[in-house]
Amino acid sequence: MFHNSSHMKFWIFKSEDELEHMRYTANQKFRNKILDSGRPGVTDSMFLGRGEEDVLFRHYERRVLDFCNAFKPVMPKSVVGTAVMYFRRFYLNNSIMEYHPRIIMLTCAYLSCKVDEFNVSSSQFVGNLLQESQAGQERVLEQILEYELLLIQQLNFHLVVHNPYRPMEGLLIDLKTRYPALENPESLRKSADDFLTQAAMTDAGLLFPPSQIALTAILYSASRAGLNMESYLTECLGLKGDKETLSKMYDSMRRMKTLLKKYDFPKAEEVNVYKQKLERIHSEFATSSNKRKRGYEEDGHVAKELRLAEEEWTDEDLM
Amino acid sequence: MEQYSILGRIGEGAHGIVFKAKHIETGETVALKKVALRKLEDGVPNQALREIKALQEIEDNQHVVKLKDVFPHGMGFVLVFDYMLSDLSEVIRNSECPLTPAQVKSYMMMLLKGVAFLHHNNIMHRDLKPANLLISSLGHLKIADFGLARLFSEQGGRLYSHQVATRAAGCIFGELLNSSPLFPGENDIEQLCCVLRVLGTPTRDSWPEIVELPDYNKITFKENPAIPLEEIFPDTSPQAVDLLYKFLVYPSKQRCSARQALLHPYFFSSPLPAHHSELPIPQRQGRSPRQRLQAPPTDFSPDLPVQRSVIDPAMLQVIPFVPQGTELGE
Repeated sequence: MFHNSSHMKFWIFKSEDELEHMRYTANQKFRNKILDSGRPGVTDSMFLGRGEEDVLFRHYERRVLDFCNAFKPVMPKSVVGTAVMYFRRFYLNNSIMEYHPRIIMLTCAYLSCKVDEFNVSSSQFVGNLLQESQAGQERVLEQILEYELLLIQQLNFHLVVHNPYRPMEGLLIDLKTRYPALENPESLRKSADDFLTQAAMTDAGLLFPPSQIALTAILYSASRAGLNMESYLTECLGLKGDKETLSKMYDSMRRMKTLLKKYDFPKAEEVNVYKQKLERIHSEFATSSNKRKRGYEEDGHVAKELRLAEEEWTDEDLM
Repeated sequence: MEQYSILGRIGEGAHGIVFKAKHIETGETVALKKVALRKLEDGVPNQALREIKALQEIEDNQHVVKLKDVFPHGMGFVLVFDYMLSDLSEVIRNSECPLTPAQVKSYMMMLLKGVAFLHHNNIMHRDLKPANLLISSLGHLKIADFGLARLFSEQGGRLYSHQVATRAAGCIFGELLNSSPLFPGENDIEQLCCVLRVLGTPTRDSWPEIVELPDYNKITFKENPAIPLEEIFPDTSPQAVDLLYKFLVYPSKQRCSARQALLHPYFFSSPLPAHHSELPIPQRQGRSPRQRLQAPPTDFSPDLPVQRSVIDPAMLQVIPFVPQGTELGE
């Protein structure tokens, strides 16, 4: 049940500003750590700014979606949704300069498969990295396992994500059974699905309950088809007498639509420039930041060979 | 981990060792379940993930163990639970005298309350057995070990319904009543034979859905009539036998849910369920007398019988001043 879930209690935030503030803090935290370390020759311009970081975040987010959507056997939507949500939750409190998104994104997908009981073996999972040689796949797997516990820890051991796909099915059934005014509810599915796909690449899932996202998707789809479904809210969902909830709901829907409208496709030129910057940051500062992977409390456990291997393969090897 | 001092080893679970420990700050005794990740090619084991998943999503309930904390440690992580004195399998094995009907009733009520709570929270435990039912220092039964648990909203229309859990409850009921397992099979096939011997070979008449089962007809069994449960449980009240039948019936659709079972006349007829303070609390093996002192029965608790908190009016007469409104025992 959503209302007493860890998702509702710990991972629904008040506002867009609060989320941005958290990400800004994570960015600052990394900068300060390096600047405070007293290394010579470190300047502010070496780091990624929040905007730059965001472009790369969106780039890697699309990459993990592509990876999941091309996955064999076909990955259920909820597994994909959970993976992307893990990715968003992880980088709320961590900068991509601290942990490289190319490995975190795969770790998110791997953990999501396990948590959602989509049973693929670890070798089957990395077998989906089609551009990798067998040895390359094994290296990636080792890294995924290195980062898995860190990811779980950064998720605060809250593993269950509620996705909007089931609520949407529920709403479609409800429309079919209780809302005869709408002739063919199934016709709304296609563009409602598209709405959910796009919403997954925004902060909607960190701001609104999945059922509201699903409802917005349906209403959005209806309005695109020129259908007015206001009476569904007032009559079927019983909001007629509850002006306050109704206006809150409309407000949430407006905010969601704004999030979708504001989504900016990461531009290839920008991505390339920032990526170089990111690679430089990781090669220069990586050693000090990797201690906490696997959630180690003590030093000296992280195998050195692995870190070397990490530098050998680049993004382009992945897909 | 520095927050705890280890007091001893309790046992070994499917994916780690369980320690008894003391939370240094609060002095609370807890059980630490260490999940190690060494040499696991698939990473964090699914069992551990399922356990965390299930326990993080449920609210407190008196009859389900509480996950107090979880944190990374070394090559793995540690789950922190309330420390429990014993489990139901020890109660059944170690009880000096057999459990009274009132005690059995009390255990069944606590078990069903826990199961009903889990089902209400969409959690299927899938591994209910006496060893997974822990006993607190107050005698409360708490469901533990969620390594096989599933959240059933993800499950869609799969065959495994939550009525399966009440079948397990039926088996536990049988074991409590007779102090020995109802179906004592050493392996799955032997177990199946035990079930068929007691409940009779199911037929398409008694269980129409049987033909839909995935492995139906892979093995054929000799037709066998059921043994009446009254014969297996000779000294048991008719209500108990009736409830047992409701748990053990083959078609899961006909089996009663935990919630329905709690309304069965069995729980409302004499003898009523024993109070938890009247239940045996066997000592864990290897406990030293010193450890025993660390978990004394609390003398102030809302769970204790009210009579114990009431002061004898005779005692009050020694005290010269009695404030108004404290006329106890009147």
